[in-house]
Amino acid sequence: MEEWDSTTKSALTQIPLLSTRAGPRDGAAWMQRLKEEYRALIAYTSINKSNDNDWFRISAANPEGTRWTGSCWYVHNLRRYEFLLQFDIPVTYPATAPEIELPELDGKTQKMYRGGKICLTVHFKPLWAKNSPRFGIAHALCLGLAPWLAAEVPILVDSGMVKHKDDEASTAES
Amino acid sequence: MDAELLELQRQFEAAQLAKSSVRLSERNVVELVGKLQELHFIDFDLLHTISGKEYITTEQLRSEIVAEISKSGRVSLVDLSEIVGVDLFHVERQIQHIVSNDSRLMLTNGEIISEFYWDGVAEEINEKLQECSHISLAELASQFLVSAEIIVSVLERRLGSIIKGQLEGGQLYTPAYISRITQMVRGACRGITIPTNLSTVWNSLQLLLHDDGGSNVMHIENTLIQSIFNSLVNDGEILGSLRAGVQWTPAVFSHVQKESVGAFYSQNSYIGYDALHKLAIAQPKQYLQARYPDGIALENIFVHPSIVKMLDVAIEDAIDHENWISYFPFYPNVSGQSLEGSLLYTIVILEAFAACGFAPTLVVLVASNERVDCQSLLPIYIVNQDVSKILSYCPSVERSVKSSNAVVLGESFIFSSKYIKDLSDLVEKEMNVLSFTSLGGHRPARSLADESKLESSSFEKSEIKETVDDGSSRKNVPEKGSKKKKGKHAGSAKVEHSENNSNFLENVPTKGKRNLRKSKDTSSTDAKNSSKVKDPGLNVPFDEWIAEKIMAVSSDLRELGGGDDPNTILSALSAHLRPTLQESLQKRRSIMLQENYKRRRQMLDILQKQLDEVFLDLQLYEKSLELFEDDPSTSVVLQKHLLKTLAAPIVDKLIQTLVMDNQLRNGFGAEDIDNLENEKFISGNRASLVKSLPNSLSVKAQAVVEALEGKRVETFMTALKALAEESGLMLKKLDKKIERTLLHSYRKDIMSQVSSEMDPVLLLPKIVALVYLQVFGKALQAPGRAISAAISRLKDKLPEEAFNALIDYHSSIVTLLALQSAATEDDEDCTSDRILSQKEHLDSKLPELKSLFLKTISA
Repeated sequence: MEEWDSTTKSALTQIPLLSTRAGPRDGAAWMQRLKEEYRALIAYTSINKSNDNDWFRISAANPEGTRWTGSCWYVHNLRRYEFLLQFDIPVTYPATAPEIELPELDGKTQKMYRGGKICLTVHFKPLWAKNSPRFGIAHALCLGLAPWLAAEVPILVDSGMVKHKDDEASTAES
Repeated sequence: MDAELLELQRQFEAAQLAKSSVRLSERNVVELVGKLQELHFIDFDLLHTISGKEYITTEQLRSEIVAEISKSGRVSLVDLSEIVGVDLFHVERQIQHIVSNDSRLMLTNGEIISEFYWDGVAEEINEKLQECSHISLAELASQFLVSAEIIVSVLERRLGSIIKGQLEGGQLYTPAYISRITQMVRGACRGITIPTNLSTVWNSLQLLLHDDGGSNVMHIENTLIQSIFNSLVNDGEILGSLRAGVQWTPAVFSHVQKESVGAFYSQNSYIGYDALHKLAIAQPKQYLQARYPDGIALENIFVHPSIVKMLDVAIEDAIDHENWISYFPFYPNVSGQSLEGSLLYTIVILEAFAACGFAPTLVVLVASNERVDCQSLLPIYIVNQDVSKILSYCPSVERSVKSSNAVVLGESFIFSSKYIKDLSDLVEKEMNVLSFTSLGGHRPARSLADESKLESSSFEKSEIKETVDDGSSRKNVPEKGSKKKKGKHAGSAKVEHSENNSNFLENVPTKGKRNLRKSKDTSSTDAKNSSKVKDPGLNVPFDEWIAEKIMAVSSDLRELGGGDDPNTILSALSAHLRPTLQESLQKRRSIMLQENYKRRRQMLDILQKQLDEVFLDLQLYEKSLELFEDDPSTSVVLQKHLLKTLAAPIVDKLIQTLVMDNQLRNGFGAEDIDNLENEKFISGNRASLVKSLPNSLSVKAQAVVEALEGKRVETFMTALKALAEESGLMLKKLDKKIERTLLHSYRKDIMSQVSSEMDPVLLLPKIVALVYLQVFGKALQAPGRAISAAISRLKDKLPEEAFNALIDYHSSIVTLLALQSAATEDDEDCTSDRILSQKEHLDSKLPELKSLFLKTISA
């Protein structure tokens, strides 16, 4: 895990691990798994908050908890850039990691698949596979999305692909 | 969808909505704090921790330090700075502040230690102390890792309160232990009766402690024992004095020492330093001088003035009354036997007998004729230099020496000058006698008389010897000896008196002779002596000799010298006497030498005369030997005969004279000159005499003696000539004139002999000699065996009848002699008759033969 920075690492180690191996089609087992997902998310969120590192909001978009929506943000040059966030729990979950999408940024960066799915680092997949089923949504966010944002947003902002809302507004006004 | 899930959803919602805490970065905070300080919002010292991530105020630091100290009571600064996480510098500053404010804390060697910590330590120590009864501070210091001074200062405050013990010389002791040691020290010190080095005592005490305490007991510091000892001394529990801090002299010892010295001194009026040494007084002289300021300190002894006074009085008395005083430790009543009589001698002799341990008094002996007065005067072990010293205290000695009444000889002998004079007279006389005898001069008539009195004198000698023996035995048991002597005096008084009263001079030669004889026996030394006397030409009598003489003259002096060194006084005396004796001896010796010379000359003259005579005869007879040169056997017999009859006596005479001459020349007398003349020498005797001659002469003389033993007259003659030359004698050659006169006298002689001869046997050789003289003009000395040969040679020279008569006579003599020799073996038979008849026959023939030959010769 040496490829991740120290804050990520410390956060990751603090997220409680999951134990139930169940996908969305497993009925009660999935419910159990979902509960564990929630606990992990709560822990992760509280860690982030206590470290003054709160950077996302998500919630389950359906009662089964197979689709999640929310937003995530990144502060760059004292400006907050916020993006919409959505992903589905794949049927083979937890063997397969969920594919996180940032639809607003679709087509704006190379590090992205069609439909706004972010390209994760080469390290993510082996790590996930190794830790299945102990890793859950919280881990995917922590390991996948947070570093991606930290790496991509400054480039996008600097290259002008992404503009702050205030700037957009001002340009729109002007 | 169960409730739990919903609940979780809600919770998650809430968590996401909760306000996140605001955090500042460190950099920001540092900047903020800096800004605050800049703006004086913070107006106190703000410290930061070693990690650099914390700010800390001094108050907080102090409170943390105090808390840390109060935890264990003892913290090192280094540890403290680590614990509070503040730089050591700040910690130190705060510590100083804290310690100065709190009297219960102390800062030593980078450690802060509080009082309550020490209290704990003290209690711990106390516990241990009660267990082991003594602990060394060094051990404690190393145990608690503090310096010894600190532990001392800390413990001193708690001694008696927390720690029940006592601190002595770097050790802690319990009172019980201290008292135990005290008992031991007291016991040991009270037990000591002689001066002792305290450290040895302490060592033995420690050994004792080790023994009962086991091996783990520590080495007790001597300082503790010393301090205990000092306190004991101060308290008067043990009595004595301490010198140089280590030498303990118990009071009882010094008391005894003082007492014994005092007792001895007051009893004997003296005390020897060695006695004080034995009492362990190191500097006896100073000690005694300090104690008895009126006493006199000598080299080896300390005397009371009364001794000097006594001695002085005795000496004065002796000198004044012309008494004879001697200091005799061993023979208080050996009186001067040889000196008694009309002479009264005054001698003061101080003698020291240092080596003798017994008979501790020197006795003054005052001996006038019968009275013997003993007085104990001087302690025995006054040695010479002391004697001389003590003498110097006596005014009488000084006075008498000044007025030349007395002479101080050696170091310790005082002789009155009168005694010296008498003694020298005696020795001189003695010397005269010796000189006379030794130089072979005429014997003093007295000494001959002595010879006859040999028995009595030997008796006397044995008497003297006895007294000496008596004296020596008395050495060991003085009282008994003196008693014995007394008895002896009474018993043999008569004998002694007669001897002592008889002419005192008589003793002198006897003893002199004894000495002489002795010296003769030891000829080697004597020879040396004589050469010694002779060589320097001074005729100096040497000291030993004089000493011997003195000893012989006055036997009491010898006995005086008795035990230790008899020569000291004698040599001193002899050295004193020597010059005068030398002079007289020299005079005497020159006279004697002259006499000797005269005698030698006389003797040699006689010898020369005799030698001349005999030598001429010899030559005469030798000539006759020529007749028999063709008959070797007869010649040999004749030569032998000649050597035996004529040569032997002259050789003996010659050798004797030479030996005597030699002796005379060497300065001692050949007293037996007369006797020797009568003696017959055998060859061994000769050889030994010859050997005593000086070397060159001896060789020649030996040749002569050997030739005498041989068969050739010629060889003898040459040897004799050589000897005569060597010894400086003349040998006259025979010339015609002398020969004629000699022959003439010889003929006359023989004729008278023949006419007067009545023995028929003896007549024959004389007749033969006469006939030879007549016929050949030569003198013949023929032994019996050669007679027949001699007769046969006459055959042609004599008338028929005379020759026949001679032959006849000879044969009848031969038969007679044969009969006689046979008769000695066979007993009474006809031989005796036949001898008689033969004799008669011869006797009848005798006048006939006589007349016949006298006639023929005179014709």
